[in-house]
Amino acid sequence: MPNSFDIEMVNTSQITKTRRVVPIIAAVALFALFGLGYFVVGFDQGQLFSIAEGQMAYGQMNGVGYLHEFTHDMRHASGFPCH
Amino acid sequence: MKTLSFLFIVVIAGLLAGLFHGIINVAVVEPYLDRAIGIENQRMFDEGQTQNTPQFWQQFSDYRTWQKEGSVVSGGILGIATGSLFGLVFAYSRHMLPGQNNVKKALLLATIMWAALYFIPFLKYPANPPTVGDPHTIVLRATTYALFVALSGLGAFGFSRLYKKMQNKKFVAFLGYAVFIGAMFVIMPPNPDKISTPMELVNGFRAISAITMTAYWIVNALILGWLWNKVQPHVENQEIQK
Repeated sequence: MPNSFDIEMVNTSQITKTRRVVPIIAAVALFALFGLGYFVVGFDQGQLFSIAEGQMAYGQMNGVGYLHEFTHDMRHASGFPCH
Repeated sequence: MKTLSFLFIVVIAGLLAGLFHGIINVAVVEPYLDRAIGIENQRMFDEGQTQNTPQFWQQFSDYRTWQKEGSVVSGGILGIATGSLFGLVFAYSRHMLPGQNNVKKALLLATIMWAALYFIPFLKYPANPPTVGDPHTIVLRATTYALFVALSGLGAFGFSRLYKKMQNKKFVAFLGYAVFIGAMFVIMPPNPDKISTPMELVNGFRAISAITMTAYWIVNALILGWLWNKVQPHVENQEIQK
């Protein structure tokens, strides 16, 4: 009696490649995250929000920028200059 | 390399370590910040800039609660930022680091990066609590600090290339970095602000903040190394049909 289906014999083998090369898109994304996050927590005095708000961004909170005040405690604790 | 897996483990390791850093800071660093800000408040009362009233303290309490919440969030942001650079350098240098285990490799790299990007700059420009920094010198202090971190980091990178190329006498690379950073210590201007805050408070703050920053680097390395062992983002399996 004939089979109602065919069995296909397939030889497969698996190879494992290890690659040292970091994809350029990943490298760019991580470097951008580093630059942006480091600037926001460590150095921003209002520059980032000034892109949308102009000069007002430099004195939103007690005469200094919003991000400066929001990141204030971590800025001190991680060694960045502050006042 | 599996790009998404790689990005995911790098960011998640940085985020978790950063949140850990932010949370332990609330417990152990914030008391120093509160004391220093208390001195600032007393100065404002003495100089008549504000009144010592219940309304002031209510507003102040709300403001400080918001800043402490901000400290945890910014710990996460800084963790992602620093962890991204750490993950990127780890991916490029993993094959050069000694050992088989990625946790050990990550801990070794974290030690080097902690020294180059945090501890050596800290020795030149130590962390200060509020009340020490003069708002009029912030641009100079921020510029010199960023420049010193960049020089130290690029110096470490440059001399690591030399270390790789040297067949013998690898100590020359360490010596070269020491001479380079020693020269930068002398050339770069000191922090211009005079410290009038009690030194016991300043030194206690510096010690505890250095400990929590060190803890951050250790935790980031442990998480990234462990995740790298689990996920193996550098390994690609391919099935070939014959």
